[in-house]
Amino acid sequence: MSNIFPKSANRLPLQIILFVFVLGGIATAGATYYMTPKYTRVGYAPVQPVPFSHAKHVGELGLDCRYCHSNVDKSGHSNVPTSQTCMNCHSQIKKDSPLLAPVRESYETGNPVPWVWIHQAPDYVYFNHSIHVNRGISCVECHGKINEMETVYHAKPLSMGFCLDCHRDPAAHVREKGDVFNLDSPTIATRTGLEAGQKFVHDWNIKPPQSCSGCHR
Amino acid sequence: MKRKLHHPAPSERELTGPKYWRSLDELAATPGFQAQLEREFPEGASNLNEVDRRHFMKIMAASFALGGLGIAGCRRPEKYILPYGKSVEGVIPGLPLYFATAMPLRKSAIPLLAETHQGRPTKLEGNPTYAPHGGASSLVAQASVLDLYDPDRATVHTKGGAVLSVAAAGELLANTAKTYAANDGAGLAFLADESSSPTRARLVKKLRGKYPKAVWAEYEPVRDEPPLEAAQAVFGRSVKPVYRFAAAKRIVSLDADFFHAESGSLFYAREFAKGRRVAKKDDPMNRLYVAESGLTLTGSMADHRLRIASSHILALAAALAVKVTGDATYSGSAQGLDFKDKDKWIDACAEDLLAHKGESLVVAGSHLPAGVHAAVYALNAALGNIGRTVDLVEVEPSSAATISDLAAAIKAGTVKTLVILGGNPAYNAPADLDWATLQKNVGDVIRLGYYADETSVLAGTQLGAAHYLESWGDARTADGTVVPVQPMILPLFGGFTDIEVIARIAGEPVSDPYALVYETITGQAGADAEKVMRKFLHDGLLAGSAYAKVDVRFNARGAAGLLAGAGKVEAFSSKNLEVRFVTDHKMDDGRFANNGWLQECPDPITKISWDNAILVSPRLGKDMGIDPKGALLQVARKEENEFSIGKENSRVFELTVGGRKIRGPVHIQPGLSNYTVIVPLGYGRTHSGHIGTNAGFSAYPLRTVAAQHIATGGSLVDTGERTLLANVQEHWSMEGRDLVREANLDEVAKEDGPGLAYVKGIGMESHTPSVIGEVGLAMTPAQRASELPRGGSLYVTPKFDGQHQWGMSIDLNTCIGCNACVIACQAENNVPIVGKDQVLRGREMHWIRLDRYYSDGRAEAGAFGGEGNRELPEDPQISLQPIACQQCELAPCETVCPVNATVHDEEGINTMAYNRCIGTRYCANNCPYKVRRFNFFDWNQRQLDSLYLGPIGPQGMPELVKMAKNPEVTVRMRGVMEKCTYCIQRIENGKIRHKVKTAQAGDPADVIVPDGTIKTACQQVCPVEAIVFGNILDEKSAVSVAKSREQDYALLGYLNIRPRTTYLGKLRNPNPKMPDYAALPLSRTEYYKKNYPSGREPEEGHGEKKAEGHGALGLAKRLGGLS
Repeated sequence: MSNIFPKSANRLPLQIILFVFVLGGIATAGATYYMTPKYTRVGYAPVQPVPFSHAKHVGELGLDCRYCHSNVDKSGHSNVPTSQTCMNCHSQIKKDSPLLAPVRESYETGNPVPWVWIHQAPDYVYFNHSIHVNRGISCVECHGKINEMETVYHAKPLSMGFCLDCHRDPAAHVREKGDVFNLDSPTIATRTGLEAGQKFVHDWNIKPPQSCSGCHR
Repeated sequence: MKRKLHHPAPSERELTGPKYWRSLDELAATPGFQAQLEREFPEGASNLNEVDRRHFMKIMAASFALGGLGIAGCRRPEKYILPYGKSVEGVIPGLPLYFATAMPLRKSAIPLLAETHQGRPTKLEGNPTYAPHGGASSLVAQASVLDLYDPDRATVHTKGGAVLSVAAAGELLANTAKTYAANDGAGLAFLADESSSPTRARLVKKLRGKYPKAVWAEYEPVRDEPPLEAAQAVFGRSVKPVYRFAAAKRIVSLDADFFHAESGSLFYAREFAKGRRVAKKDDPMNRLYVAESGLTLTGSMADHRLRIASSHILALAAALAVKVTGDATYSGSAQGLDFKDKDKWIDACAEDLLAHKGESLVVAGSHLPAGVHAAVYALNAALGNIGRTVDLVEVEPSSAATISDLAAAIKAGTVKTLVILGGNPAYNAPADLDWATLQKNVGDVIRLGYYADETSVLAGTQLGAAHYLESWGDARTADGTVVPVQPMILPLFGGFTDIEVIARIAGEPVSDPYALVYETITGQAGADAEKVMRKFLHDGLLAGSAYAKVDVRFNARGAAGLLAGAGKVEAFSSKNLEVRFVTDHKMDDGRFANNGWLQECPDPITKISWDNAILVSPRLGKDMGIDPKGALLQVARKEENEFSIGKENSRVFELTVGGRKIRGPVHIQPGLSNYTVIVPLGYGRTHSGHIGTNAGFSAYPLRTVAAQHIATGGSLVDTGERTLLANVQEHWSMEGRDLVREANLDEVAKEDGPGLAYVKGIGMESHTPSVIGEVGLAMTPAQRASELPRGGSLYVTPKFDGQHQWGMSIDLNTCIGCNACVIACQAENNVPIVGKDQVLRGREMHWIRLDRYYSDGRAEAGAFGGEGNRELPEDPQISLQPIACQQCELAPCETVCPVNATVHDEEGINTMAYNRCIGTRYCANNCPYKVRRFNFFDWNQRQLDSLYLGPIGPQGMPELVKMAKNPEVTVRMRGVMEKCTYCIQRIENGKIRHKVKTAQAGDPADVIVPDGTIKTACQQVCPVEAIVFGNILDEKSAVSVAKSREQDYALLGYLNIRPRTTYLGKLRNPNPKMPDYAALPLSRTEYYKKNYPSGREPEEGHGEKKAEGHGALGLAKRLGGLS
């Protein structure tokens, strides 16, 4: 009987295993790159109907976050300002700018300006802004340095892993009450060391939920 | 390097047009598709045209398929944030707002607080400012929010089939006013449903002043207030009773279902429970005697229940009156009354009443003739109850004509224009009036109706009515307190309210409902008008506006006069049946027929959903030969009603009364008077919506003007047909198990007895050493949660190290089984309905259910292999038990989940992560309480009639239905498991609100939510406060106090799963002198008979003196497993 398998076939199992590993590696790398929030969401910077610059308003003019996002410390949802809020100033400043035409129109008609939603948690995630900003978590922790952004982009992945990193180790992320809306401020841990952060967590009874019910209902 | 994605600048279309995800736009950017899109999703509006939706889905099908191929389809959809153009005062996006309003129902109303999310009401709660209800609300009030978003409601005004604009409809009414202004309203007639609205009363007065020749008639098919003529006769004044059950120690109900069918029932249930709650061994407890023909929830709570035909109630009332008042003139009416142990029954009952003068109460059902009410007034007067347990309040007698008067006028041809406000006479008017024909004979019929129903289709002009949540109005509660009806949203379809229509026809200069109500409320306020109105709307009631209590003198002669007119006691048999038409527990008189939540909610007693049935007693069933001799394994099991795989295969009978016939399925119902047939009203609608049409059968064709509530001379004939009923509880009996633990009050009160700890002597735990050991027994629930190891298992005990530990306690002694919790849960948690077909397959989704058990004491061990009991109980005791997820600490469902979709959180809640669930259903298999529910279909996205069509069936939820959903809770999809979460959304939001408050107040360390802040939906709605929820770490919390009561027990506690929900044992308070006295509750008798087949005395084998060889194993063997 002739040899059905040539001698080189002896190496075949090894080759197959190698091939599977390589293929698996490629698939993993591909999935990581194309499908995880760290890569799919970070950097997302859609063009907004009005080229609003946070760098200008917050960074240069020093507006507080809560001037526009006025309910962020009251409600789970951080409100995007009504056109009326914009018009508080822009009825006097740059009142004829063509770039502000959608805002003026919205103010007159009452129709909303369709801002593109950037930091969007999935529907099954019930994130609450008020609890975070009231208990030492600054905007910058999730949104990045908005005060330096000309166009707002998605700075952090906002994946479940990202949330849990902080929920498992709040001491490294908390800020003093007065620093929450100051996006340039350091965390307590960077300013005075991790122990101070841990003390803060202890004193404030901070115990972030790590089970499903905290965010999913 | 950071990748920055820069999208191209949005085009004109993207900025201004409808928003959708891009790949689809691009793939289907044809003009036709654009048109479809614009019609389908105009911003902020809704388009409900079903044809358009289907067409849209057809077109989109191709796009979906192609979209899936291209990489474009993988991109995350672009969504928009749409803030208000101008700021709205008081609105904080993401936080609900609460407004006071009220749900009017006939001559009463339920004050409510409506929760609105961005302008849409999603959930109703009772208004806690109205103290008599204490924040509770009812089954129908909970469900009424769904009616607002009913896609089948009347969405347009029409005349002769042509659509009228709102303005044109208004003009039409103004023209009617013009036409009849000239001739004093001759030829104009109105037929309205009853209303308690002061504004409507005011306008009707004006209307009648303007059109003195017009007919104003009112009609309600069911009566929920005692007839005023009885009060007129005996007190000489127009008064109605308001009962104070909390002050009554002995209560006799004569066919009165005061938990449900009487006006003010919510208040009564609440008050009754106050006299029922027993926390300590020597607490007082009321005693309830019920004489009734059907089996109502009130009857199910009775300590002594007498089955008696409704027609015989008069004789019973008279017989009691003879004993109590000593006045022999009543004896004439008591002649011929006969039932088993009659004299003993009446003597003992009367003696008990006389022993509690001034703290007893006799109540008669509103449907009963005036004679019964006169006798009851006589009883209450003789017992000194008037002014103590029953207040008489002055009410204005109705000056409206009856529907018969109106019918006569129509027959005489004097009615040219008929305005029908609400109601539904073509469906529910007495059959002998032949309303449909009458209505056709009137030239011009204007109908204000919420649906295009039986009456509307016969009317030339149809006006769409506004829901109470979108209209301005007012109403009075049963005790007369004026409450506002405040809109939560503008009328979705431009509907009118009745006061608006009356004002327009009356030619009032002002017809704006708000202005009308404003005028009524602030009429006497003068300069303070604005303040008074604001306070009225804020509080949700007008303080001090209740009906005035009056002192009355009882006039025995008046009572005798009414009683003298009563007929003789008629004997009933299977040839001469008494037929009792009852207000359905869910459909009421038929007005809620298109409400899916109510249709699917099982009847509290029969447990049938989506249908009504002709209820017959087991005796009558036997007489008619529909009492099959099945191979009975256990007591009173399914075969009696011919169950097969969970489906009740019911025989269809024809019920004839006075030559009028109806057909309907027969259901054998234990506990009925032998020859009384109970027919629930409100079903068999021919013109309702998708839900209500053709559900059940209508009993209205049997009703005549003379016999609206009780008819005699009925007969039943088998048609040979069969029909399936969706009955959700196959097992009727507890089969001697220890699920509901009951005791009699005298047993508990015994000096040397176990007291309230009697619950510990029942069940598996009482026969074995405790599964949690003596150490565990000594611990508080909080210690048990954190310190007690699982024991004997490889599984890790979850760490309960949260700042709160949630627990619940359910008091079986006060639970009246009203089912309000079922619907409250459904509304709060976006629980879908599944339709009759799926309920028949056992796929209902309710997170909380009420189990109803019968026991008659005859079940015995013989039933497990021997002869046992083969008869359905005729006179059972009823035990009710609400069951939701028990939140076991060592949950069996968690250990079998392959994907960790159900796990414990730190605070003791067994959570469900829907997104992880892959639908293996192992958890449901492993749940000993059967509380897990599986989404077999995409109930939310599919029409109930096309579930099996798969991808070719229509998909998507109508915009209107989406508006009813609670935004705080995920809407579940097909293939995932769901169950009660203790309203996790309320818990999390409650914690967050508290922490935000304390952090802002400078006390961030205070993170423990005060007791009572977080209420679960079932707890909040419960009229009897049977459900208590809270933090068991706090020893002073209401739930800890409840759990530390002696009668606290865990359901199936021996499984060592440590449920966080525990029950408080039930108590009965029978009178030892009564002929039907049983020393033990019948369920206990059955329990002992089953578990001690040798006839050993139950007391022997208990407590510390436990006999040897009495272990769990032996018992389990006898039980045939732990089923």
